[in-house]
Amino acid sequence: MNNANCDPHGRRVIIVGGGPAGLTAGYRLAQMGLPSVILEKDQIVGGISRTVSYKGFHFDIGGHRFFTKIKAVDDMWKEVLNDDFLRRKRLSRIYYRRKFFYYPLRPFNAFAGLGLWESTMILASYLYARLFPHRQEETFEQWVSNRFGRRLFQTFFKTYSEKVWGMSCSEIRAEWAAQRIKGLSLLSALRNALAGQNGANKKRVIKTLIDEFDYPRLGPGMMWREVAARIEQSGSRVLLGAEVEGIMRAENGVEAVTISRNGEREVLHGSDFISSMPLKELLLKFEPPVPDQVKTAAHNLKYRDFLTVAVIVDKSRLFPDNWIYIHDPAVRVGRIQNFKNWSPFMVPDQSKTCLGLEYFCFEGDDLWRQPDRQLIQMAAEELEMLQLAERSSVEDGHVVRMPKAYPVYDSEYNDSLRIIEDFLRGIPNLQVVGRNGMHKYNNQDHSMLTAMLAAENVVGAAHDLWRVNEEQHYHEEVTIAPEQQRLLKEKLRAAFARMDSFAFATATGLVCSMLLLLATLFVLLRQDSPLVPYMGLLGQYFIGYSVTPGGALLGAVSCFTWVFLLSWLFAYLRNFMIGFFIYRIKRKMELLTFKDFLDHF
Amino acid sequence: MAANQINDEEKLFSGILRLNAKVFGLVLGIVLGLLVFVATNWLLLKGGHRTPDGRYVVGPHLQLLSQFFIGYRVSFWGSIIGFFYGFALGTLSGSAIGWIYNKIVDWRK
Ligand SMILES: Cc1cc2nc3c(=O)[nH]c(=O)nc-3n(C[C@H](O)[C@H](O)[C@H](O)COP(=O)(O)OP(=O)(O)OC[C@H]3O[C@@H](n4cnc5c(N)ncnc54)[C@H](O)[C@@H]3O)c2cc1C
Repeated sequence: MNNANCDPHGRRVIIVGGGPAGLTAGYRLAQMGLPSVILEKDQIVGGISRTVSYKGFHFDIGGHRFFTKIKAVDDMWKEVLNDDFLRRKRLSRIYYRRKFFYYPLRPFNAFAGLGLWESTMILASYLYARLFPHRQEETFEQWVSNRFGRRLFQTFFKTYSEKVWGMSCSEIRAEWAAQRIKGLSLLSALRNALAGQNGANKKRVIKTLIDEFDYPRLGPGMMWREVAARIEQSGSRVLLGAEVEGIMRAENGVEAVTISRNGEREVLHGSDFISSMPLKELLLKFEPPVPDQVKTAAHNLKYRDFLTVAVIVDKSRLFPDNWIYIHDPAVRVGRIQNFKNWSPFMVPDQSKTCLGLEYFCFEGDDLWRQPDRQLIQMAAEELEMLQLAERSSVEDGHVVRMPKAYPVYDSEYNDSLRIIEDFLRGIPNLQVVGRNGMHKYNNQDHSMLTAMLAAENVVGAAHDLWRVNEEQHYHEEVTIAPEQQRLLKEKLRAAFARMDSFAFATATGLVCSMLLLLATLFVLLRQDSPLVPYMGLLGQYFIGYSVTPGGALLGAVSCFTWVFLLSWLFAYLRNFMIGFFIYRIKRKMELLTFKDFLDHF
Repeated sequence: MAANQINDEEKLFSGILRLNAKVFGLVLGIVLGLLVFVATNWLLLKGGHRTPDGRYVVGPHLQLLSQFFIGYRVSFWGSIIGFFYGFALGTLSGSAIGWIYNKIVDWRK
């Protein structure tokens, strides 16, 4: 085992995790002719993006849409599944106070559902928030309220967010919400706006990405099973049930990992290591242990866990949505997926429906520990309470618990990540990739991108994975070369720089008063100029002015004053308008990026 | 990353505009030149009036510009000459404004 899967130079890449990131790394390496060993602790590939099968019914751990703006990722998806992708129209709604609201929100539908009084109150609270915003934006609640008003926040964001994170919105840090729309940098917003990207075209791209998506016929697991199969065909290995228990580190890097498989411990040596297992676990598995500071940082990384109760309902049609957000606080379920609406191939019998009821929880809490039977019973009861299905029509069910579904962005995570990043930079042959692997709120595409770059690094590239721009969000339109980006930034800075009102007013005042002075003296030199009576009229505005040497001097002073004031006003208004333009662009982008906010959990 | 972003935004707002004196002068020159050109031809198109002594006069007030712009007349040729005068005056004034503005900005820094 120890020397198997080496290239002719004795190189062997060990990849921890058989989720999208780990498998993508293995796939890329195989394409480059480098063998690898992928270690997956579960008996199934795909990680969080797996598809579970139960009695012929297939379901995901939260429905997984395939959408990306990263070409390399899109190419790989097409290369692997090609004809097995279905293009799906998205339909999702929010269930709130026994009513359904389209999500992303549609103004008329929301208005009709909320009624005149509630809509007016929402509008009033929005105006109030714009006029009197919270001065400090420390919490998620303040952050959203400042932008949308308190009432809208309470209606459409509060209960769901609290279900997802298991804490009050007044405890969730504002920076987390800001992170969710971090695709928005002012510079890129301006760049897009000026490059016409903010117009119809950009809106269409965003709309398409939100309203449509690709989905493999048999769920995302189909993709990852196929990738694993191709990796094995290339001579690399995907070991299932192989849990990494120790990372053995020497002076110049990681030397080996210890794994337990089928109850036995093994040591696997390698030349390069790529890990997609949760960062916290990775660091705590180091032998010898990591320094205390790093250990504390690792302990500071927190996660939110998740469980899906898939129920089989003896009904051919229940509702048309792909999924429904359940804001109602009376039930614990957070979201309900209707997998048949993702792909009809997900159910073996079209007279039945398979729903996935998603519960957000913490590993070890009461929900997590509840026996499967009770969870299925609760799911059936909640479906009835929500009037989506009768309890008696629920025939069967299956529970999947997914620990560490969401890396938590709390007040500590960023500093901790910095410490960890610094530490890992000192281990050149170990790269971390993926979602929990880097503690980044990545979707499949960005998880895959980090893995692709890591594979290239193994053969000599020097990508900095920590800097992989997950802000290269799908809302962002164009990617441009760094040099062009620098130039563009400079140009934008020059274009939007503030005009110095005082300097401009002084300069124009001086030049105009000089011109008046010179013109008057010139007229005086030319005796009997017919201009004299006309120029004298300037005295109506420029106090003390007359077509005489003394009058010219007094007029120049007064001309300076007038021109100074007007130019100052001009410069002030110019700065104000530019500020307003920037503010408008920013808000527009903010709203646009916030449009599908709930979709990110 | 977030820090970079804030940094970018701060830079964007903290930047003080520099005027390109040459360009500013050129723009003002063209504007002023065109102003004289259009104003003159506008009066020509509108036509003039006869004075009691039978002279046909077009734009007597604009004609006063010839006190400064020697050779200028309210005629088509005059409008071209006027354009050049206007252009020269605008360019000089604009460049002077740009130059003084930049000096003051430097000085205030
Ligand atoms: C509810 C939900 C909905 C989502 N919806 C979408 C969506 O619509 N579209 C989308 O693109 N993305 C979606 N995502 C995100 C997507 O699931 C992840 O981005 C993706 O799965 C991350 O891949 P990964 O390989 O980095 O990590 P993971 O999928 O977490 O894979 C890591 C793998 O490492 C294994 N592992 C862990 N520890 C060890 C160990 N010690 N030894 C060996 N193996 C180990 C795990 O078993 C796992 O298989 C969603 C996520 C969630 C939670």
